[in-house]
Amino acid sequence: MNQPKSILRRSLSVCLVIFSLLFGNQLLAQEGKALFQTNCASCHALNKDLTGPALAGVETRGPWGDRKKLYAWIHNPSAFAKSDTYAADLLKKYSPVVMTAFPQLTEKEIDAIVDYINTPPPTPAPGAGAAAPAEPKDSSFLFGILAIVLGVVALILLQINSTLKKLSDEQAGIHRAEPVSFWKNKAYIATCIILLFLTGGYFLAQGAIGLGRQTKYQPEQPIYYSHKVHAGINQVNCLYCHGGAMEGKHANIPSVNVCMNCHAAINEYKGPELLREDGSKVDGTAEIQKLYKHAGWDPTAKKYTSEGEPIEWIKIHSLPDHVYFNHSQHVKAGGVQCQTCHGPIQEMGEVYQFSTLSMGWCINCHRETAVKFKDNGFYSMYEKFHNDIKSGKMDSVTVEKIGGTECQKCHY
Amino acid sequence: MHKLTEMRKSILSVGLMAMAAAVISSCGGVRREPGRIYVPDMAYSRAVETYTDHSNLKQAGIYYDGTPVAGTIKRGGIGAFPLAKDQGTDTANYVASKQIANPLPPLNEKDMAEAKRLYNVNCGICHGEKLDGNGPLYNGGNGPYPIAPRNLVADPIVSKMPMGQMMYSVTYGKNLMGSYASQLSTKQRWMVIHYVKSMQPGGALPVQAAAATDTTKATK
Repeated sequence: MNQPKSILRRSLSVCLVIFSLLFGNQLLAQEGKALFQTNCASCHALNKDLTGPALAGVETRGPWGDRKKLYAWIHNPSAFAKSDTYAADLLKKYSPVVMTAFPQLTEKEIDAIVDYINTPPPTPAPGAGAAAPAEPKDSSFLFGILAIVLGVVALILLQINSTLKKLSDEQAGIHRAEPVSFWKNKAYIATCIILLFLTGGYFLAQGAIGLGRQTKYQPEQPIYYSHKVHAGINQVNCLYCHGGAMEGKHANIPSVNVCMNCHAAINEYKGPELLREDGSKVDGTAEIQKLYKHAGWDPTAKKYTSEGEPIEWIKIHSLPDHVYFNHSQHVKAGGVQCQTCHGPIQEMGEVYQFSTLSMGWCINCHRETAVKFKDNGFYSMYEKFHNDIKSGKMDSVTVEKIGGTECQKCHY
Repeated sequence: MHKLTEMRKSILSVGLMAMAAAVISSCGGVRREPGRIYVPDMAYSRAVETYTDHSNLKQAGIYYDGTPVAGTIKRGGIGAFPLAKDQGTDTANYVASKQIANPLPPLNEKDMAEAKRLYNVNCGICHGEKLDGNGPLYNGGNGPYPIAPRNLVADPIVSKMPMGQMMYSVTYGKNLMGSYASQLSTKQRWMVIHYVKSMQPGGALPVQAAAATDTTKATK
């Protein structure tokens, strides 16, 4: 499913690089793109209103033509909205989602992002443009049907052909040897074997690649816990429950006492209707009651009355034992947003695995991600890179350059 | 002969249709099963890991206790809050906590920024990022949280409260507020309290940062 998207993205970036090379602002555009992808892309697209509005042509709208106002907004959206009606309306329109404040973005970095946004969508250059599919829709099913129909038609035509030939031969009085029957004809057999080999090989390879990959895995959890309600509508910070992501290897599933920090008081669900993936309705209040059972909490007496028991959540994202992954390395040192790997988690009713978590996926990100050196003590030992960038020997440092593709980083 | 080809044709089309059906069914729907893996001995840890069933460790001859040895302090950490939680209606320790001083020296700018981050993550959801008791969960009464969280800057109960008593509340919970001892370390809790105090009227500003330890900055 992600294939067409990634092809699109890749070809887009190829076009972008070509474009920026042409105009000599390579560093700026690349930087802006990286910044956009790290900071903005989990909510904003260029040409489509998603969680946040489309950003293409942002400078033509509202007060955003004035860079000063744009800086103020990005550094602190809710504060800026108080002094500007357009921004306030925006907040209202996209309510309850409030744009995250990015006080860490410098004015230069914001300029780079706007430059990236303003870079016109690359016109399909000969060669490069050919790879860009206009429609990312999956039409393989239609092609399959078409192939089957054509195959059947071909078979029928072949039969008709041989029958006609036989008739004409008889009329002309030519006597041919009885033709080799269909299932003994070596050409047919060979074609069939090759076709079977190709299709079989394709499915075998796909199946083998899919082994151990759990993309889209969306198990039914013991309690219907909606990330959309908690992290989306009510804006609970991811780290409130998964604070371990800053501290160590595991992001941690919160223990029941963390749930009870709020749910000791919040005992009913009054938000928008909740639906399971199969379309059945969820009674939010009943789900909270399930939590009370696990916590050993008596909601009428408002105290803990029994020992309680942990909720046995079903683990979705799991890496094989021979892969080492550390959350804090990515979240704290790398400054990676949760959504970069976990997808639009704040919109998920039931959580599914967004990324493939395949090795290629990891490596690809490590190759593309530019390390944020600014205010990042973790990397301060890499003074050489710093100086090389300063003297113009390098333009950026990828994760690969600081050991991000060393085997032992993941396999130990 | 003719019959045979007819039959073959029908077998062929049935087979093709079955394949097409299989392809369709594999595309749609919710994936409730994790799927298969190969080399399970490489995929699943033989060692006992996080999120595995820990209930039968003792039967397996493993005596593991994740809690630190009583009276020990981790490297770089600070001693645990010295008072125990009041039992029942007793408030002795809550009152006594007023005397406990914050063991951390005043925070520098960097630590203050970290304390602010910790506050925003863990406390801001109710008490608001402006500490005005109007976080997104309460939202002026429109949120799901039924009671107004304490205004940490304007409410004199909090602005006059000694740090030790604030620490008691954060460590053990107070009224409807739960304990944050499982989410924040002792040091982090004291840092957050420094931050809250600094935001209150007349609060102390962060002290000048110590000599730069960041080598990148130092070389500039």
